[in-house]
Amino acid sequence: MSEHTTLRMEGILKEFPGVVANDHVNLSVERGEIHGLLGENGAGKSTLMKILYGLYSQDDGDIYLDGERLDLESPQDAIDAGIGMVHQHFMLIPRLTVAENVVLGEREPATAFRSDAEDSWLPAAVRNNSLVQSLAGQFSLGLDVPEQRIQDLADQYGFDIDVSAKIWELDVGQQQRVEILKALYRDVDLLILDEPTAVLTPTEAERLFDSLERLTDEGLSIIFITHKLTEVDAIVDRVTVLREGQNVGTAEVSSVTRAELAEMMVGREVLFEIDRDAVDLGEPVLRARGVEATNNRNIEALSGVDLTVRQGEIVGIAGVSGNGQKELAEVMAGIRDVTAGELLVNGEDITGAKPKTFVDSGVSFVPEDRLQYGCAEDLSVMHNATMKDFRDGRFGDRPFLDYGKLRDYAETLVDEFDVRGVSDVTETKAGDLSGGNLQKLILAREIYRDPDLLIANQPTRGVDVGAIEFIRETLLEQRKAGTGIILLSEDLDEIFDLSDRILVVYEGEFVYETTPAEADRERIGLEMTGGGDDDGGEAETSPPPSGVTQGSES
Amino acid sequence: MVSFIAGLLDATVQAATVLLLAGMGELISERAGVLNLGVEGMMLVGALGGFITTVLTGSHWLGFGVGILLGMILALVHAFLCITLKSNQVISGVMLTLLGAGLTTFFGSGWVEESIEGFPQLTLPLVGQYLVGIPVIGEAFFRSTATDYLALGLLVVVWYFLHHSNLGLEMIAVGEDPEMADTMGVSVFRLRYLAVLIGGGFAGAAGAHLSLAFSQLWVPGMTAGRGWIAVALVIFAQWRPRRMLVGAYLFGLLDALRIRSQSISLTLGPDAPLAGVINPIVEFLMNPQIMGTYPYLATIIVLAYAVIRTKSDQLAVPSALLQAYSRETD
Repeated sequence: MSEHTTLRMEGILKEFPGVVANDHVNLSVERGEIHGLLGENGAGKSTLMKILYGLYSQDDGDIYLDGERLDLESPQDAIDAGIGMVHQHFMLIPRLTVAENVVLGEREPATAFRSDAEDSWLPAAVRNNSLVQSLAGQFSLGLDVPEQRIQDLADQYGFDIDVSAKIWELDVGQQQRVEILKALYRDVDLLILDEPTAVLTPTEAERLFDSLERLTDEGLSIIFITHKLTEVDAIVDRVTVLREGQNVGTAEVSSVTRAELAEMMVGREVLFEIDRDAVDLGEPVLRARGVEATNNRNIEALSGVDLTVRQGEIVGIAGVSGNGQKELAEVMAGIRDVTAGELLVNGEDITGAKPKTFVDSGVSFVPEDRLQYGCAEDLSVMHNATMKDFRDGRFGDRPFLDYGKLRDYAETLVDEFDVRGVSDVTETKAGDLSGGNLQKLILAREIYRDPDLLIANQPTRGVDVGAIEFIRETLLEQRKAGTGIILLSEDLDEIFDLSDRILVVYEGEFVYETTPAEADRERIGLEMTGGGDDDGGEAETSPPPSGVTQGSES
Repeated sequence: MVSFIAGLLDATVQAATVLLLAGMGELISERAGVLNLGVEGMMLVGALGGFITTVLTGSHWLGFGVGILLGMILALVHAFLCITLKSNQVISGVMLTLLGAGLTTFFGSGWVEESIEGFPQLTLPLVGQYLVGIPVIGEAFFRSTATDYLALGLLVVVWYFLHHSNLGLEMIAVGEDPEMADTMGVSVFRLRYLAVLIGGGFAGAAGAHLSLAFSQLWVPGMTAGRGWIAVALVIFAQWRPRRMLVGAYLFGLLDALRIRSQSISLTLGPDAPLAGVINPIVEFLMNPQIMGTYPYLATIIVLAYAVIRTKSDQLAVPSALLQAYSRETD
């Protein structure tokens, strides 16, 4: 332990019924460093951090911050000690504004009662009285000053946020930024970030890294939970790896290779290269012409999109979050109405049809928000696995269902897609699975029905390396089997590794089309942010002639 | 006709106060995520407790205070069951309503004959006498009991509290997403207890107003379903205090009309065209029992309208209503 150590967690033990989530874990963080916490889903990272944030109490072990032993009963204790946390699942109330979400719990009094107010009509003696402050903090609420402060923070770190907007009006990326603002607003000394870049574009992530480095320059310490080894290389100083609740080791990032880290994490060697075989393109499975749609705020989100996807083709769609990807995916999946244009699936016009018609036409959908839209959290793995197919007659004579068959089917899916954490398909709830395993379950449900068209929106967001490898391989296998795939991802590497064609979406339109072989990353980055040159930039979305073979470009 | 309308408005104001008081309590409790179906029972306990205290001491204000206190005591049971023990809110609420009805029928049987001097009708100081002189509405709105004025004043307080204070913001947060509130250092446990207790106090006050100001006597089961109407009123108001004012007066008017329905004749003369068709319909619609369902009918219509019309943010049901919260569930 050096004199620079700020946080020490020693011998942390946490047991849940039947599981040891943290098995005598040690962690030490130095002042001003970015400390990576690496591990697969279910390795115990989140549990360890929840203990540090006062959400869970440890069964054994001690926590020291700057040499002082901490007794954390609640998050308030952690906040008081100067610990902030940005959670993996958003901790935001959609119905409230950005400012209301940020100041919640801070007891910001009405402006006149602020002790730092300059032109208050109340004399300072009254304002500074502790009883008056306590009462004003409870029974009044002033958002003007906090809003200004939040806006300043947002500007300082380059976050594009309207502080008076309601959370539900923001896209996922913006919501993530509000989460970070919540912690920054509380002047933390130690900031825990649970996969903060999962929803950011590469450019935004770069900007966040700059901000984080600025924070550490000021003496702040950061614990950075991530699955992405590239990020570990990019900004982390030291890294601690957890596997199955145990501390595998802590290392200086400069002294280990990526492969070594991956092996520490997974316990075996991990393949980074993906083999993409050539696949013959077949008939078009999707033709979309002039599709327009609005977002949840009734503002135009798609302005005339043409898209054709052929059998055996992966069309990668790149773009900064909030440029219509969510709406595009939902329109193609039939769960968002188009305001203009037409959609043909397998040559049949099903514009405006019910979602069930899309499902029956062979459209499968992996939504961006897997907890909210991808599953029924409180239902069992079996119910979730059979949700799209239980009606099709395979599972007993209508109106009765044969639960034995449903169960067998669900068990097959769980086995074949290596969904872990399922003790009994009829007992384990989907919502209790870890992110990566839930995503595998959803993918299993969507793929096992052998779809003609698969729309995958951010399929590997927030899942661990092992699961990412699996999901990507599954998508490629499905491509081989002749499914047309639309892949929406903010991870450019993923788009490059998997796609046959790349389309860049900006403000609801395709502005650029290319292939991974010809693509120029800088150009794509420019097009994503609207900076592409206009003369040659207009999208050419017509597909290559039928039967053209796309080569292997991995 | 004028005197009929003036009397109707007067009864409307009185009926509205009961609903307003009980409704505000329910609103606060539900915004914090706890449904309180025990309002009816808490009102009955408040009504009887307030009445007995007033008979014994002669002070209607003391009676009103005891009513509030008894409502809170019953609410404490609800809070303990739903928040600490995390049991089902619906079951606990219904049980408390039945418990309140049973207890007050038993303990109140000896007090039915008693009479009290309840809350007198007051006018506002200085301007009151002129305001009362306003035709039709003057008597109804400006000669009322202190509790009528109090209810209106409290509505402003509740609105301000929920939407313009830190405690109110925290309460709403606890009702929307207790886990989130917890991570922000807000005590879910304490705020939910506070909200349920305030709710019980309001219900007790509504009951005390009923026995001490509205009817000035005690009859077993005298709330006659008004507690349930208060629950409906919260839905009708879409969990917003300002809409609750409109709803309380609308429901109050329906209540006043119901009581007077026998004295209103809207049927056509026997010689009028279609009298044979219209008169039975009018009679049906004016039947006191049928009129008693109008508040529920109105709530169903508002609920349907709200669900059809609104977007995700405006659907006003607190997201975590009926959800118990405990931190360590994995």
